[in-house]
Amino acid sequence: MFFKRVVALLGLVLAACARSSTGDSVLVVLDSSLDKEAYSVFWDGLVDKGYSLTFRSHKDARPAVVEDEVAQFNHVVVFAPDSKNLPQDLTPQSLVALLDKGTNLLLALSSKKQTTINTLASEFSLVLPPPGTPLISHFPARDTPATVVPVPPPHAHPVLTAGLPPVWFSGVPFAYTPNPLLLPLLNAPAEAFAADTTSDAGADAVVEAADRAGEGLWAGSSLALAAGFQATTGARATFVGGVEMFSNEFAQKELPQGKLSGNKQFAQDVASWSFQESNALRIDKVKHHRVNETEPRETYTINDNVVFTMHVSKFNSNKDTWEPYSGIQDMQLEFTMLDPHIRTALSPVPGQPGEYSVTFRVPDRHGVFKFIVDHKRKGWTHLQSTTVVPVVPPQHDEYPRFLSAAWPYYIGAMSTSVGFVLFSALWLAGDDREGKKKGIKTE
Amino acid sequence: MAPKSTAAAKQPTTSTPSALHETSPAAAGNAVQSLLKAYNETTSPRLKLIDAFLVFLMIAGVLQFVYCVLVTNFPFNAFLAGFGSCVGQFVLTASLRSQVNPANRNEFKDVSPERAFADFALGSVVLHFFVYNFLG
Amino acid sequence: MKLSLLVLSSLLAARETLAGQLSLQQARFSVLGGDVSPLRQEPISLSPANEPDPVRLGPSDTLKLAFTVVTKEQDSDAEPKGVQPHQTFVRFFDKQSGEEGIVPVRVAQSGKAKFELSMARPPSSLPPTPLQGNETAPLTVSLLMGSFDHSPYSLQLFDLYLPPSQPAPEHPDEKTFHPQPEIQHTFRPEQKLPSKFVSGLAALVVVGGPWVVLLGLLSQVPLSTPHLLSPSILPFTVSLTALEALLFYYWADLKLGQVLAYGAAVGLVTVISGKTALEKRGEWRLQGKK
Repeated sequence: MFFKRVVALLGLVLAACARSSTGDSVLVVLDSSLDKEAYSVFWDGLVDKGYSLTFRSHKDARPAVVEDEVAQFNHVVVFAPDSKNLPQDLTPQSLVALLDKGTNLLLALSSKKQTTINTLASEFSLVLPPPGTPLISHFPARDTPATVVPVPPPHAHPVLTAGLPPVWFSGVPFAYTPNPLLLPLLNAPAEAFAADTTSDAGADAVVEAADRAGEGLWAGSSLALAAGFQATTGARATFVGGVEMFSNEFAQKELPQGKLSGNKQFAQDVASWSFQESNALRIDKVKHHRVNETEPRETYTINDNVVFTMHVSKFNSNKDTWEPYSGIQDMQLEFTMLDPHIRTALSPVPGQPGEYSVTFRVPDRHGVFKFIVDHKRKGWTHLQSTTVVPVVPPQHDEYPRFLSAAWPYYIGAMSTSVGFVLFSALWLAGDDREGKKKGIKTE
Repeated sequence: MAPKSTAAAKQPTTSTPSALHETSPAAAGNAVQSLLKAYNETTSPRLKLIDAFLVFLMIAGVLQFVYCVLVTNFPFNAFLAGFGSCVGQFVLTASLRSQVNPANRNEFKDVSPERAFADFALGSVVLHFFVYNFLG
Repeated sequence: MKLSLLVLSSLLAARETLAGQLSLQQARFSVLGGDVSPLRQEPISLSPANEPDPVRLGPSDTLKLAFTVVTKEQDSDAEPKGVQPHQTFVRFFDKQSGEEGIVPVRVAQSGKAKFELSMARPPSSLPPTPLQGNETAPLTVSLLMGSFDHSPYSLQLFDLYLPPSQPAPEHPDEKTFHPQPEIQHTFRPEQKLPSKFVSGLAALVVVGGPWVVLLGLLSQVPLSTPHLLSPSILPFTVSLTALEALLFYYWADLKLGQVLAYGAAVGLVTVISGKTALEKRGEWRLQGKK
């Protein structure tokens, strides 16, 4: 009996090992109008992966997200589409401050009201339609209302699993200005659009919406329904157009073609990216040294051949460890003094997982240079590393010596020396016949 | 001994005025020849030793300079060292000559020829030290 | 409790069986030149096999679409009825860049619809068509019609070539998110050395010429060296030679500290031997005077 319990406990512990690279405490802020049990598929999926969830109503102020300037949770989920105002620690400014502290966010937008989250979204380059205009699609012909839309996921997305079935969506779409920090996770189908009319009689209103000054008509596949934002501090914030995507109802709903929807897997993929489980990279070690040496030098000399090595790891959420990762094919190293003097590819070393190395010749300008690696790609953690290294001109004894062009000069100097020695010998040996020939009186 | 040397010394002075009046190249050649003859007769062997050394240094310096100008001045420090050794040694040797020359005895009453040679040797060694330092 | 209410309301809101299929009638398009002269006028067929040839618009041309939206009851011989659907859009899609533009079409209650695209005043939602090589990329034009009461309908019309436009605006940081062009440093060219033969020859001349002259001159001079190997003079000569040899060795192999140390030692010897030598010479000179 006791043995069985131990095994069960062990199994539980082992299963709960897949965690995020930044921690596993999640605060979920739920609207009081939303039923926690209606989203149990999503919560259970997170708990199975190893997260510890803490639930809080949108009206409560405890448990606080930040206490004494320290973030209390690693991740915050805000599913509050019906509340216009949130407590003090979840105002837009506080949420942005949370991102600065490294807390990841998963925020749901509201299609009915202008909530504070909707206002915050505009700071992240998202442009929302006016409140009360949810996404509508008449395609394909199906049994659900026009506001419940099956959305085919994109092909070959860096975050979502391949081969995902279409996903049910209900909520508000948003346009986005081109911002490389923004990663669209789900784009609206081409035939969908945002409208506040519910019958064919609203056709004229739809056309007039396009003529309206401002953003006009929200339509087509350039709209996104879920987008992730990789902040420069390393934290991730994901905006989702509606909470129903995470509900049990949508997870168990059948698609018009007959298959089961991909909502459950999609929700887990979105959560795992937002909570820094997937596509999380880090730099382990940076080394530099001259070719044929192993220790870095305080200064390098111009025209030196230098080897720069970097070790990169990727988080493996299944094993809860950082593993060396050699999959980055386009990393670049810059050797910069005010402007990059050299920009070269930092390629993975075959046979050494996680190691990237390049050998190059230091420019023949002296000054204070920096090894800069600034690898930013959509949906991946930014890798940034700067190492300052002075480069000096050759020391007085590092110049080439004994050159063939200078043979005449060497010979000349040596012949002067020899001549001096010969002259001294003859002079000292000579007879000083001073008074003999000239006969000048030396008085 | 004295009259002979003065007679010998007087000779050139009476013969040169007539030589200087002629302006043809043959006369110039004549002047050079008589100059050399006078030099040969009046300088002591020890002074001639110094003069030979001076000529040697001058030619060496000129040759190195010509090489620098015509071919390459690339290790410029080497050129400066080689050329400088010739020039510096020339200067030291010339000053030795003037100090040792019996005709200048009045100028250098305090400096004996041995002292002059000691200065010359010390100066030369220091010069060569700097030259080899810079030669690279 | 809440869950069941939700389910019930969604079921109620579910659409009834849609009454009929949207379709088009008398669909045609025309391209008019800048001076309102008709350049092309063709009907649009509803079958995908008869897609018209690609349409090319110049900077002042106008594309006009005209059609009537009708519903066709299934399994019914009744006349198609003109309707005004909720959604009638013309979609312009660039397959290569993924840019898309949607322009709504105003449909009358009777179902008659007219759409005009004037390149003199293009709508802002048209996708950008930058020049690629000699031509712009073609846009696929399709018609989308959706309604709350009828089954939706979409039709691909034709490929459209628009005049070149500015490319889509890019975020200033966008290029740092892709590999950037490599930068090489051009080094100063290596110093070219003259050939070793030339240098060697010059070295021989530099050493040979002056020595030849020197030896020749010295042979002319009646030198006498009686004191060459005298024990008071020789040490001085030898130590001077040693000093010069040390300096040559310094150039070849030694460091400053070493040469100064050795030089101090040899120099001391030189000073002592020099004192004796020169004193001796002084004696001889003064003796010779007598």
